Amino acid sequence: MENFTNETIDTTQLPKFEAVIFTSLHSKYFTVVIINLIIIITVMIIAPLMFSFFRPELFSGRLWLILGAVLPVLFIWIAVFSILGYKRKGFAFREHDVLYRSGVIATNTIVIPYNRVQHVALHEGLISRYLGLAKVEIFTAGASSSDLQIPGIEKEQAENIEQLLMGKIQKQL
Amino acid sequence: MSTDFSLPQRQSVVGIWVLFFYSLQRYARAFWPIILIYAFRFNQINKIYLVLSLIALFVVIGIISYLKYLNFTFALDSENKEFIINEGIINKTKTAIQLNKIQQVNINQSFIQRLIGVYELNVDTAGSNKKEGAIKAISHELALELKSRLLENESKAIGDENDTTTFKEIANEQSDFAEPFLRISFLSLLKVGVTSNYGRSIALLLLFFSTIYENFLKFGDDDNIYKEKFGNYIDQNLVLQSILFFIFWLIFIVLIVNVFRTIFKYFNYTIKQQKGSLLLSYGLISTKSTILKPEKVQIVVTSRNFFQKKMGILELKIKQATSGEKEQKGSAIDIPGCSTAEEEAILNLLFQKIPAKGLMLKPNWRKLIFSIFLTIGLPLFAFIVIGTYLDSAVFEYFFIVPIYIVYIGLIQYFKYINNRLFINNNFIIKQSGAWDIRKEIIEPSKIQAVSTSQLFWHKKLNIGSITLHTAGGDIAFQLGDYIVLKQYINKWLYEIETSDSNWM
Repeated sequence: MENFTNETIDTTQLPKFEAVIFTSLHSKYFTVVIINLIIIITVMIIAPLMFSFFRPELFSGRLWLILGAVLPVLFIWIAVFSILGYKRKGFAFREHDVLYRSGVIATNTIVIPYNRVQHVALHEGLISRYLGLAKVEIFTAGASSSDLQIPGIEKEQAENIEQLLMGKIQKQL
Repeated sequence: MSTDFSLPQRQSVVGIWVLFFYSLQRYARAFWPIILIYAFRFNQINKIYLVLSLIALFVVIGIISYLKYLNFTFALDSENKEFIINEGIINKTKTAIQLNKIQQVNINQSFIQRLIGVYELNVDTAGSNKKEGAIKAISHELALELKSRLLENESKAIGDENDTTTFKEIANEQSDFAEPFLRISFLSLLKVGVTSNYGRSIALLLLFFSTIYENFLKFGDDDNIYKEKFGNYIDQNLVLQSILFFIFWLIFIVLIVNVFRTIFKYFNYTIKQQKGSLLLSYGLISTKSTILKPEKVQIVVTSRNFFQKKMGILELKIKQATSGEKEQKGSAIDIPGCSTAEEEAILNLLFQKIPAKGLMLKPNWRKLIFSIFLTIGLPLFAFIVIGTYLDSAVFEYFFIVPIYIVYIGLIQYFKYINNRLFINNNFIIKQSGAWDIRKEIIEPSKIQAVSTSQLFWHKKLNIGSITLHTAGGDIAFQLGDYIVLKQYINKWLYEIETSDSNWM
């Protein structure tokens, strides 16, 4: 009981989560974003072409005109959002919690304290694995909206992060 | 304390009646379509055959119940430390429950059991969700004695070192059984039945009227001549009167249904305190009982509307931590209709103190504008677009537009007015709702993760949204003072990260 103190905390002096400097995703991940973008755009071009090949009676000149006007705008839209989205994504590991930031129009930040982490998983997509990247997935006891996924981290670093988190969780138990 | 439980015991003799009624209930449930057919053709059936077959049915069920009674025995095996239940007429089942695995022994009484004057004893064990041992008919003294014997052995196994405390525990339990911590009166249930579920009732009303109106229109289309000929004969006043009469009837029926539903579901709602956890039991025909552990509670929601406030009652909903999302819905516990004093007693028990409101945060006025845009602007736009370009027939329903705007506008306005976030040192309370005003109460230590969101054009305005994720669900507050919110997030994170406080 002698060591027990209960001083008032100055809340303005607490470490600020909003002042954290975020690490952006690995530059190789940009390639993944671009490849995904190309796949989506090709599918969206090929799908109407295939349709017009098998069912030509459905495609009038007017529909082609609408498709020709709408699709490029949509493509530019998707491309801008993917690229900006990549640039806006970032993560940070503090002493006691992990932060992840994302979002183009709205800035979303999620904070998970280490002593609330239930388990950690590594996920490698097809393209990411080829480039030596991995995704770190962090789960809590809350609903799925409170789980956190950090894509585009080098495999070795991702494993280190996993080890770090496991260590932190172990310490809590 | 003289009953020798080591010898196999039968249930109370009057318990045959309980078994009889339960069997009857089960058969009635299984054969309800046949019963329905017979009820409709009542006049066509030979009455003598009906009476004879009914008598035969009762005799058969009676014999089955008697055999069930004869074949049901329970005993305490003190050598192997097991509680043994034997049952079954043709297929024999023997259930053996190890005494040290028994978690709870509950004594309940359903409506039928109350009529006959016997009790039901349920044994809950760790490891499985369903009740493993159930004795359907037992006298009160015997039930209490058996309960203490079952739990006596358990506490001996745990606490050989400190016998005094275990003795106390047993004594406490018995006294707790005698006087429940809370009992919701019949009157309160009546009040709840009359005042809740308006949303559903209104939706039902609207559905009903729209179908009636459509049929009426169809009728008019098919038979224009008929309408012209006879339409004039119908007195306008009479139509209006019958419509009004009809509306009153409908409201009356909805209220009656609500009242009956509430009473059936929550009749004799009692809360007892047992070993630091709460035991809830309720129900008219079948008594349900659940165990509530205060440390598992994540969110407490209180809800009351204008009428309920005037009557001095409110509804409580308790959300516990769940392992899977599927269970989330089922795990919320409802306590309908308790008074303010009872609410405070429950909150005191769950949180060790009564949540105070503290600092109040309001949403920005842009939230009101945005929700009006979503719920009025967009549907109206769609309505006009459809009317002008696709089918101008929808404009015939234009009279609905002002009603819709006023109704939805009022709802959105009250939602905005009631939307508040209260923060103090120990609690976070979110208030929301237009008619039923809900207060969601959480402790900062229950937070699993925090997410924030801010639109880029809101940066200069200093407004943003936060979501607090807990194991029992999320709590979100939109467009509040972002600087203050961020300051509190830092504080909560600090508290979570520096303490070992368990969220479960």
